[in-house]
Amino acid sequence: MSGLIATLVALTLIKSTPIIYAALGGVISERSGVINIGLEGMMAAGAFVAVTCAYATHSPALGLLAGIAAGAAVGYVLAVAATRYKVDQIVAGTGINLICAGGAAYGLVVIFDQPGASPQVQNLGSAYWLLIGAAFALAAALQWVLYRTPWGLRIRASGENPSAVVSAGLDPLALRVYAVVLSGAFAGLGGAFLSIGELNLYSDGMTAGRGFIALAAVIFGRWNPLGATAACVVFGFFEALQFVLQGQIAWLPANAMQALPYVAALVALAGVTGKVRAPAADGVPF
Amino acid sequence: MTRLSRWFAGPLGAIVLLVVLMSLAMIVAGTSPVDGFTALLVGALGGRNEIGETLVAATALLFPALGIALAFRAGLFNIGAEGQLLVGGLCAGALGNVLTLPGPLGITLMLLAGFIGGGAWGAIAGWMKARFGANEIIATLMLNFVAAYVALELVSGPLKGPLAAGAETAWLEPKYWLPTLLPGTRLSIALLVALALALFLQWVLARTVFGYDLRASGEAPEAARRSGINIARLTWIALTLSGAIAGLGGATIVTGELHRFNTQLSPGYGFTAIAVALVGDLQPLWICLAAFGFGMLESGGLAMQASAQVPKDAIHVIEGLIILVLAARRYVATRVEGGPV
Repeated sequence: MSGLIATLVALTLIKSTPIIYAALGGVISERSGVINIGLEGMMAAGAFVAVTCAYATHSPALGLLAGIAAGAAVGYVLAVAATRYKVDQIVAGTGINLICAGGAAYGLVVIFDQPGASPQVQNLGSAYWLLIGAAFALAAALQWVLYRTPWGLRIRASGENPSAVVSAGLDPLALRVYAVVLSGAFAGLGGAFLSIGELNLYSDGMTAGRGFIALAAVIFGRWNPLGATAACVVFGFFEALQFVLQGQIAWLPANAMQALPYVAALVALAGVTGKVRAPAADGVPF
Repeated sequence: MTRLSRWFAGPLGAIVLLVVLMSLAMIVAGTSPVDGFTALLVGALGGRNEIGETLVAATALLFPALGIALAFRAGLFNIGAEGQLLVGGLCAGALGNVLTLPGPLGITLMLLAGFIGGGAWGAIAGWMKARFGANEIIATLMLNFVAAYVALELVSGPLKGPLAAGAETAWLEPKYWLPTLLPGTRLSIALLVALALALFLQWVLARTVFGYDLRASGEAPEAARRSGINIARLTWIALTLSGAIAGLGGATIVTGELHRFNTQLSPGYGFTAIAVALVGDLQPLWICLAAFGFGMLESGGLAMQASAQVPKDAIHVIEGLIILVLAARRYVATRVEGGPV
């Protein structure tokens, strides 16, 4: 039994980590006033590019960096679309998700000549425990940055009242660009953790809605980093629970159990909204 | 010059972008664009069977696209059409396995079951949005995964056909198959149902009080609320209908095309349909045209992949880019026309 609990705790940490990174990205972006529906795609981009780079260079560390860069690059696309072209952010994010998932599937064929999944690469090995710790440390750091530093105040102000930021002599659009690029970098890191941390390959659909679970965590966590992280741990717990129970209790419907984390996110979403308030200018082009 | 740039911000730009990007995707995959486009066009329109497959794909896209457009007109973003298709198909397939009725009546009931099943799936998100204010984008997407796993559970166990190899129901009796529209192809009269539905929705949106309320709550929610429209009620009705239309589409795939339910029912139609709805400018009749275009890409894409070795996934990248460009289009168009920035 104690072995089972240890497994559950370890799995919860592992399963929460990619969602935490994505959710932190979601917090930064939404605090600056841009809804990032593209988190899912940025995770896929990070996961795929990390594997590709690790494959080419035989260095999982470089793969990790490349995954972060890929997420940031996709973030830049959304940032420009949201600030310069004032697009509907939901529509643009949906487009980005299709581009990234399709691009990775296309890349699997063109680069590896292997539809569906990449070949196996060397992964980060036990260094991925560092990334798990880093997720929690980053959450705390981001909490501090957002609430205790001038830069954090500016980011929050451009999500609450961008005109006030202009009055202060600053450019809210530039702040939004920084925030969304950073958001993409975080999501890319989360994706890279999935592909070369937890596993050692990229397969189609491997992000499996985690970008959206992260968005639910952002709302559940009231748009603050520590709250969102706590929500991610809850969702990660249900994902882990589903794994652990599958081997233990034969009569549980194994396939339906996999829906558990998504149901948890749905319940959380219904449970808190109405009681929480999004940043006032979240999703409103300026 | 202004006229030219306006065209480029519109349909012409989308087509030019499509051709340029497709060419690029073909070159990267090691095929010349001439060969690639030839394979694509021959695969989409090269003969009776090809045209049939293009229209099959167009039909499968048209239902969820109409549903998505309906919700979108009410200001609601339904990205759960994939799950709604699946639930609709599952309800139709499961019912078809137990029915003992004359064919036409059975088919009607199966389509109705798909409509109700998809509607119920959409209603969950609608209820969550109306009752709790839960974000419908996240809710509808989460429900896709729930639908996929629940459907897999059911057709791996209780609903699995006795002779089925994979996760699928038993074959439907031929009397429960939708009649073929184009002999010698898989195209069923589902296409006519979809087109009729598009006409009907065009009329509903443009000419009825319900359609007016729907558009008002999408375009000016505050004004709509003050004029006495019950936004919460409209929200769940819109999301339920949106899901029901997609579910009906799932049922037509089962009765018209696969002749049984299979968890692989949709290769992402629910997501491509978002692009279809947006390219069709959320107008049901234009969506029919867009569905035909994307149907060509779907069926031609398979041929392109087989004969020219260009991965079909390139098409999804391009769909995404089209969505992204269309999202920016309105802004570019106003700027070109000298409107407010």
